[in-house]
Amino acid sequence: MKLLAALLLAVAPLAPAAEPVVISNGHVDLGPRFADGRWTVQLRDDTTDPETWRDLDAVVVQANGKAKIAVPNDPAYQFLGKPGQSVWVIPQVQQDGIVWPGWNTQDREVATRVDREVTWSLEGVQGPGTFTLFLNSDFGKPHEVFDSRKPFPQQTGVDVNTHVHGNWTFDTQGAYLLDVAMTAKLTDGTTVTDRRTLRIYAGDGDVRTAFATPAPAAAQSDGSGLEVWWFVVGAVVLVLATTGTVVVRKRR
Amino acid sequence: MKRTAAVALSLTLLTACGATTSSSTDKLNVVTTTEILADLAQQVGGDRVEASSLVPPGGDPHSYEPTPKDAKRVAKADVTFTNHLLLEPQSLIKTIDANAAKDAPNVSLAEAAESYGANVIPLVENIGLDVLWLGLRVRGAGKQRGATRTSSVQLAATKLDGPGQLVAYLTESLGQPDKYFDSTDGLDKSDSTTLPPAAHTHLNWAFTKPGVYRLTLTGALDNNDGKLQPLGQGTFTFAVGVEPHTVKPASSGPATVLDDGHTDLTVDLDSGQVYAYSDARKVGAPQTQVPAGNVVIDVPNKALVPIPDDQRFSFLGKPGTQIHQLPQAVLGKHVHGEIDPHLWEDVANAKAYAQLMRDTLSTADPDGKQTYEANTKAYLAKLDDLDNYVRTTLATIPPARRQLVTTHDAFGYLASAYEMTVAGFVVPNPAQEPSVEQVRKLSDTIRNLRVPAVFTEPNLAQRASVLIQVARDQGVQVCSLYGDSFDDHARTYVDMMRHNADELKRCLGDHR
Repeated sequence: MKLLAALLLAVAPLAPAAEPVVISNGHVDLGPRFADGRWTVQLRDDTTDPETWRDLDAVVVQANGKAKIAVPNDPAYQFLGKPGQSVWVIPQVQQDGIVWPGWNTQDREVATRVDREVTWSLEGVQGPGTFTLFLNSDFGKPHEVFDSRKPFPQQTGVDVNTHVHGNWTFDTQGAYLLDVAMTAKLTDGTTVTDRRTLRIYAGDGDVRTAFATPAPAAAQSDGSGLEVWWFVVGAVVLVLATTGTVVVRKRR
Repeated sequence: MKRTAAVALSLTLLTACGATTSSSTDKLNVVTTTEILADLAQQVGGDRVEASSLVPPGGDPHSYEPTPKDAKRVAKADVTFTNHLLLEPQSLIKTIDANAAKDAPNVSLAEAAESYGANVIPLVENIGLDVLWLGLRVRGAGKQRGATRTSSVQLAATKLDGPGQLVAYLTESLGQPDKYFDSTDGLDKSDSTTLPPAAHTHLNWAFTKPGVYRLTLTGALDNNDGKLQPLGQGTFTFAVGVEPHTVKPASSGPATVLDDGHTDLTVDLDSGQVYAYSDARKVGAPQTQVPAGNVVIDVPNKALVPIPDDQRFSFLGKPGTQIHQLPQAVLGKHVHGEIDPHLWEDVANAKAYAQLMRDTLSTADPDGKQTYEANTKAYLAKLDDLDNYVRTTLATIPPARRQLVTTHDAFGYLASAYEMTVAGFVVPNPAQEPSVEQVRKLSDTIRNLRVPAVFTEPNLAQRASVLIQVARDQGVQVCSLYGDSFDDHARTYVDMMRHNADELKRCLGDHR
């Protein structure tokens, strides 16, 4: 089923990077959109009016001191650390003074062109400690989405035209670089994917170190569905995958 | 396993030089997993094809274990068709993939039929999450009321009528519940919450007993000047465990039933009105506003959950007691990447299968192309008639009685294509044993909805015993529907679907 008939690469460079910003309060969403016609993972910033879709390289999301709490004495939350230990938790529910990052597949073009769902995968995490993302399900039981201690890539599905929030946790102060990819099958049968680095800073330290830290080599591991073109196109894609959009056409 | 593989390999070698004449006749040898697929292939192939299924008549494809003989049959096949998508067990799919001759087309129909126009439904993992996602919201800027960014809006629950209690609460990041409205100790000043303008929040909505509830919400604006400016109020209706289309809304106007997607109970700072604000189901369409008095919110029986044995949630009642609860988050409703495999319960999807089979057979046997095209054309016309028959037959059933309670979750497509409701089932997949919890939930569902009948599947006698027992206890009729396979009475897909339509009408229709 993974046969490959044609491969199109969008090779135009991205628009010039905007002025880098740090967002530590208000609502933002990670999500794919067709930026200048190309499937791109960006950050929707609702702290401006109207909203701004930001290039991930030009923004740091900060979990400030208000997000710092102690791990509760509850076996269900042992994955956050030892009871009493400090941990930064950006909550699923909006809390005044703490940034509120979610993820959405509601960009109009995304919502109309994607077939059913977007696959969000975490390909790696570079940072001083553990990152987890979890949801509060029935009666508050944590439902894990990502955990940086587990093998990569880790995947979750996001239904098309939805908007979701979760709890983002970091157990050590510092800059975390999340190597994320979003992939979808479009209604015309083609597959689109894009891989970027989301920068998050936990704590009240020097946030700009998150910009200074080099992005991880995002192309070192590839999604399981992509081996074929990976092999065929090889090195060209290795370079482009971090910055461009790849369209894979499947043969019927 | 090794021996099977060796046999298969030698057979592959033997047949490699004459793939189109490998069976005992000179017909194209088509092997499918299920009888339904074999029938479709036979209709398309006609005289040029001999189609047979691996799962025997009356067998359950979900739990069928392949035999070494099956491996041989697969190896001899000129074409193999599977449904795939979790219908067949992995061992059966592996048997086919490992033994099918290299040059023999091996098609997973459900996956490939999408490009032939099949409608697919994502597989629901947790039906308790397949419900309305309900929150609270403040809309509008309220400039003419003097509101600023630092203003806040108070939303209070001022009245509740119903057979039980309502608790609307939020579970915070570390599992701590935060109650917004709680009628268990009466409604007073504490049953209110404050939101900034343009904010919204999601909540759990728990109801202690089934029945019809009416909740009045009242808004007030606080401009930090020491007094509350009254805004409007509105009364929302909740149909908890009962058929929502039979429930009258709070006002005398027409009812709008809200049963899926995302809705917020909203107070509008500009108009002062209280209404339900819903995201459009269609992409790009505007959100909709329905005045509180016209709203009926569906809290179905699939939202039944037991209260956990956790002190923090004791305000809901005794641990283990079943309550109806719309959850605060619905992510995890679908299994990532999976779709419901029972596509053929929508006749339009069987048409897609037939066309895909036509093209596959034409590839394997180019000389037969014209025959396959003619057969398919005739068969598609038959399926159009069938689709029309099922649709017009089911349309005679009163909407409130179109409830499907079945042995396993095989009728999502039937429900979606022909406007039925999947009210409940014993187990999602018949290969599973039902838990005590599942049986209790099924029992409550039948009781609360007062369904006229439940449906067993002829091939799932074992699973049927639970359903039959529950139905007997409550004096409910037991009828039958074909899900995954035929029996002696229905030997074709068309027979099976006509039976399903007739049976649904016979058992659910209004005969008074």
